[in-house]
Amino acid sequence: MKGSLYTVITFVRINTKRFFRDRLALFFTIGFPLIFLFVFGGLNSGSGDVSFNVAIINQSDSTFAKDFVKSSEDGKILKVNKEVTTLDAAKEKMTRSELDAAIILPADFGTVKGDAKYPSGEAQIVYTQNNQQSAQALTSILNAQFGAINTKFVQNEVPFTVKQEQLNERSLSAFDYTFAGLLGFAIIGMGIFGPVNVFPELKKMGILRRLSTTPLKVWQYFLATMIGQAVIGLISLAIMFIIAIWIFNLQVVGNWFELGVFIVLGIITILGIGLALGGWAKNERQVAPLANIIVFPMMFLSGTFFPRFLMPEWLQNISAFLPLTPVIDGIRLISTEGKGFIDILPQLGLIGAWMIVIYAIAFKVFRWE
Amino acid sequence: MTAMIVVKDLKKKYDDKQAVDGVSFSVKKGEIFGILGPNGAGKTTTLEMMETLRSIDSGTVTIDGIDVAKNPDKIKRLIGVQPQTPAFQDKTRLTEVIEMFAAAYGVKVDPLQFLRDVDLEDKAKSYVETLSGGQKQRLSITTALVHGPKVFFLDEPTTGLDPQARRHLWELIEHVRDRGISVIMTTHYMDEAEILCDRIAVMDNGKIVAIDTPKNLIKQLLARGFSKKQHVEQANLEDVFIDLTGKDLREGS
Repeated sequence: MKGSLYTVITFVRINTKRFFRDRLALFFTIGFPLIFLFVFGGLNSGSGDVSFNVAIINQSDSTFAKDFVKSSEDGKILKVNKEVTTLDAAKEKMTRSELDAAIILPADFGTVKGDAKYPSGEAQIVYTQNNQQSAQALTSILNAQFGAINTKFVQNEVPFTVKQEQLNERSLSAFDYTFAGLLGFAIIGMGIFGPVNVFPELKKMGILRRLSTTPLKVWQYFLATMIGQAVIGLISLAIMFIIAIWIFNLQVVGNWFELGVFIVLGIITILGIGLALGGWAKNERQVAPLANIIVFPMMFLSGTFFPRFLMPEWLQNISAFLPLTPVIDGIRLISTEGKGFIDILPQLGLIGAWMIVIYAIAFKVFRWE
Repeated sequence: MTAMIVVKDLKKKYDDKQAVDGVSFSVKKGEIFGILGPNGAGKTTTLEMMETLRSIDSGTVTIDGIDVAKNPDKIKRLIGVQPQTPAFQDKTRLTEVIEMFAAAYGVKVDPLQFLRDVDLEDKAKSYVETLSGGQKQRLSITTALVHGPKVFFLDEPTTGLDPQARRHLWELIEHVRDRGISVIMTTHYMDEAEILCDRIAVMDNGKIVAIDTPKNLIKQLLARGFSKKQHVEQANLEDVFIDLTGKDLREGS
């Protein structure tokens, strides 16, 4: 037994060193998920506020109009494109969907007309066909703003009003879901595509066959691969966490130790799929289609790129049982919702069950050549 | 001398082709035993059954008194195997290759010692992908010996090597034999078999058609009245080549 462990540890040590010497492997394991993190993180940043891309074309000289433009530019609801000053320029941008709508303040906007005591005016919202919804929402927003302004000038009885109150409960942001999904993506990348690419190559070169003339056992080889992947995976995911916390304001409220243990379990489970596929395949051509059939549906259905709650209920019920789903859910529950192992027993149980099934298959179908 | 390997009536069938058809021979301790034969004669299949890589249909192989079919794990510790085209995972240093193979047997060795045995000490820290074909063969030989086996199998070890590298490899194989290890090798080169092998078996169609020392086989042929047509030169082209280019091993061979 002591010799067996020495075997495993030596394989882990040397293979991990080899990994860090291989720039291509480093890129695909660590760099590639980071690119996705930046893309999706960038898309989701500030997603808590609804914002419209608009141009404000101010044709009026009134102080009211100027103040209105300034407060709109400073506010969070509108994202004002300051470069667009003419209607033609706005139209061009709208046809390319770079702008949702243009707000036109006519020349008499905000001036005091006749013998009125207060300024008045009619703002115009122009939009193209494909932006009807944005324009309607924008109209409501402006109506509400003008309503508030109007009450300052004209005293009116307002029988029905709405009052806002912010709760102190922390809610999940879209990024929390995206981030857990991206971790799942990284785990799939190294756990499945790693062995699926490497094993057939090792077989082709006769390296596994040469190993099979030694007393090395399949379990030793698998265990060495698992430990190596867990180490590399933890490093890769740690870098993702650091960047998510540092740049995208991810708030991790859970226990780091439990998170680490859970991630290792997830990595090992998903790696089993890669070991089964790569261990079974005689060559790349045999395994590539099968790997794609398994990986891509699982990737989308388990909530890697968009959260599962967006799916129809029947699909959610099915996708809940895929091996990647409890991994992604568990990571999110621990890291951003602060749950402990006891709270995520269903996820742990499902992962455990999958681990047994996957590794039973992996050991059964493995071949050295 | 006692027999290290005893092969009795070994058979293997693929679909409806009898690849190995009743092969029997024995190999003594510390001899180089060559298996010759055209492609498809069943050499590699015979070797693979002896190496535990392929199941045995019928017949027995015993190595050092242990049955290969019954005790494959024990056999694996007794044998070292050199594949036809040695390959190693890239980005691995030579010392690490040796450490890993030793670890596969659960032992810890001094990698430099094993590299010294095959004149690769100065390459110790290099990655395997920088080695030439001959250097890979030598590394492969030394990795097959990390656990101190009693039997060493080589499958066409010198195919594709230049004459200098071949000669160097022959010396290495003789050193292995001189340490008391039984060497079993296949080859397509008759000069190699004649110079290197203590005894050879000639296989054809899954059967052994002749088995003896190279000298005796030649004598038997001459006794049957065979004579070569052409005039025998005192030297051949390889002698010229070695005379012109020397025996020194080249960089990259």
